[in-house]
Amino acid sequence: MVTRVALGTVFMVATLMIVSFTAIDEPARMAQFESGYHGRSVEAGAALYANNCATCHGPDGKGIAGRAPALNAADLYNGTRFREMGWGGTTHDYVYGAIAGGRPRASAAYAEYPQRMPTWSRDFGGPLRPDQVNNIVDFVMNWEETALLEVVAEKPSDFVAVGLDLKDPVLPAGDVARGEKLTQTYGCVACHMNPDMNAAPGPGWPAKYYSSGVSIAERAATRFTAADYTGKATSAEEYLRESIVQTNVYVVAPYAANIMPVIYGEQMAAQDLADVIAYLQTIK
Amino acid sequence: MALFKLHVPILDDIKTKGWRSALVTTVDQTVERITAGINVGEIRSILRGEAPKRPNPRVKPHADGFWMHMRPTFFHEQVMSLYPTFRLGWLTTYMLVFETITGLFLMLWYTPSPDIAYTNMLSLLSNVPFGLFMRDLHRLGAELMVMLVLLHMLRTFVTGSYKKPRQFTWFTGGVLLLLTMFLSFSGYLLPWDQLALWAVTIGASMAEATPVVGREVNLLVRGGADIGANGLLRFYLLHVFALPLIAFIFVGVHYYKVIIHGHSLPPGAEKVGEDTARKVPMERRLYFLPDVMTRELFWTVGWLALMVFMVTWGGWHAPLEPHADSQITPLHTTAPWYFLWLQGLLKLGDKVFFGVILPGILSGLLFVMPYLEVGPSRRYADRRIGLSIAALTIVIMSVLTFMGTPYYGVSSSPDQEVLTTLAPQTHPGLLRGTAYDELPVGEWVASGWNNAPSQGLQAVLELYNREIERYSDQLLNAKGKMSITEIQAGLKQVTMQVEWEDNGAHASEPVTVYLHRDSDYEH
Repeated sequence: MVTRVALGTVFMVATLMIVSFTAIDEPARMAQFESGYHGRSVEAGAALYANNCATCHGPDGKGIAGRAPALNAADLYNGTRFREMGWGGTTHDYVYGAIAGGRPRASAAYAEYPQRMPTWSRDFGGPLRPDQVNNIVDFVMNWEETALLEVVAEKPSDFVAVGLDLKDPVLPAGDVARGEKLTQTYGCVACHMNPDMNAAPGPGWPAKYYSSGVSIAERAATRFTAADYTGKATSAEEYLRESIVQTNVYVVAPYAANIMPVIYGEQMAAQDLADVIAYLQTIK
Repeated sequence: MALFKLHVPILDDIKTKGWRSALVTTVDQTVERITAGINVGEIRSILRGEAPKRPNPRVKPHADGFWMHMRPTFFHEQVMSLYPTFRLGWLTTYMLVFETITGLFLMLWYTPSPDIAYTNMLSLLSNVPFGLFMRDLHRLGAELMVMLVLLHMLRTFVTGSYKKPRQFTWFTGGVLLLLTMFLSFSGYLLPWDQLALWAVTIGASMAEATPVVGREVNLLVRGGADIGANGLLRFYLLHVFALPLIAFIFVGVHYYKVIIHGHSLPPGAEKVGEDTARKVPMERRLYFLPDVMTRELFWTVGWLALMVFMVTWGGWHAPLEPHADSQITPLHTTAPWYFLWLQGLLKLGDKVFFGVILPGILSGLLFVMPYLEVGPSRRYADRRIGLSIAALTIVIMSVLTFMGTPYYGVSSSPDQEVLTTLAPQTHPGLLRGTAYDELPVGEWVASGWNNAPSQGLQAVLELYNREIERYSDQLLNAKGKMSITEIQAGLKQVTMQVEWEDNGAHASEPVTVYLHRDSDYEH
């Protein structure tokens, strides 16, 4: 009996020790399961995408002209597209809603796509279970990283920040098309291309998105001569450069200072800044 | 005269005997109340290993207490060694209680609805501390319980313990065997994964073949033509309520019969035709307190330690397949292992005869066997025919179980077999288990496995090549192609296709597998 009691006690202590070790590892195990499950969800989504979505949105998500817009594109992830639709939530929920419910009619901004997006979730009469819709969302959201990075490849090792000065260095000639893409990569469009101009935290660029109906190109051309101007710019280019790198020097009412971060002088190369300025000057 | 009188005896004791003595008496009395008859002095005597006084004061809890009154005061020492019981009955009872407790924990996180059951599984595993641990223990316990019940039955047959007067005990044991199998089987459906849906679909279609009532019973259990929300709810209620309730009642009946007839002694211990289990001589008695209880606790704790070890460091985990999908039938779905023999029988021919009538007759015979086999001797030497039949049954059951697996008599095209081995639909398999970085982008062929640039790819292609060679008589000049591309950051697409010649060129349906960097199938 003594042997049994002793051995039983050893078993009990061993069990408790194993359970304690398991307890220590539980948070890490749960986190690992979560990321593992997300990976499997992306895999399942890839198969569903290939079977159901690729015919219209393209196998690489680049969209097919006249059929369906691109999903593997920066404007889906930086907020431009869903703001244009008047959506106030996250990109993830926007994508989920679009897949689950479909689009009753093509959006005005995408008039070139006459087909309507079908309803996919069983919740609204579609063919897929909600968890399958979630798988597709996980797959689509997996493009986010590369779609946003695609416009500007990784900063080269010889990257030199343009800095805060208005004249030094002298900017090279700007590329309008690249500048337009950069405004999406840097997320400028989230505040400055917002159709709801009363809610937007920053002034809209196109004339139709600005209260006085004047575009950013025209504003830049005249503002630095205004009586209340507090900056140092002496040309439209310098005014735009100052607005980007030294955001708080001159803020026009009703917008507030410290909303736009003072980071772009450190993040942009001279070429980036020149491209964006060139693009801004073409906006009407 | 007071209507309400408060009397605190310890105050009187303190007055008359003093603090120390009064306290000792009170503690002693309290312990005696809790243990229903054993005081501190006796506990100390038990712990010291002293023999009991005469008359034995340690039998009092059996007379006074509820829990102990269900247990005999003493056993014959010959039934208390490992042989002849092997503790199988005790461990099975322990598993029933163990499953109830772990099952209650799992119920906290579970909703019996197809919309959310699988999501519940995922959140149990990703957000509940010890969620995996509890699920693994519950599932492991279920498998072990079926094994223990079967072994217990085998042991009872081998030692001849089913013979008169214990026929009815055997009968109730048969009921408990069926209940255990259906408890385990009904739990299969609840996670609502592919394994669940298809195992139960197979089981239900077997039962459907029952003449006259098959369709009706099936409709009642499934709540519809296919298993859906109604079927899940019904299986859930069977699993957590109806079957356990019946099982507990039958455990009561079974154990009552065991006690009333006494544990049968080893076959050689008594004369042929005698049953002396109830007449235990004084000197051969092993009292429940403390000897039997110590042994039972020892086995309980040891068994628990084994199970906890298996689900943690042992790496045993309950399977969880993808979400149930009635549109996708995985290649090679099987019934649970304890029903594989049925699946094997079904491959022999007619669904009604081999799936229902024959198993029905066999299990019927199992129940009434003690009433038919009435040979008086329990000795092994006198039961050569019976024991041979038992051995033969085990062999036949093993063969049928093998025949139930996909390795026997399943005709699918060899090219699909090859590709399914690499990327099975029922478990991760070698390809998914290979690390993401070990699968380089490019076009590969199975026969060139030796030149593959990474070890992981080499192993995958080698298996691919081996599987193709296995079917070389059907797949002539076969070429196993594998194309790996990276379609997103951290997501690879692996497409496999087998090409072969047989009166012209053939190519299999391509099989595509997606692999994410984080998906972590190895764990």
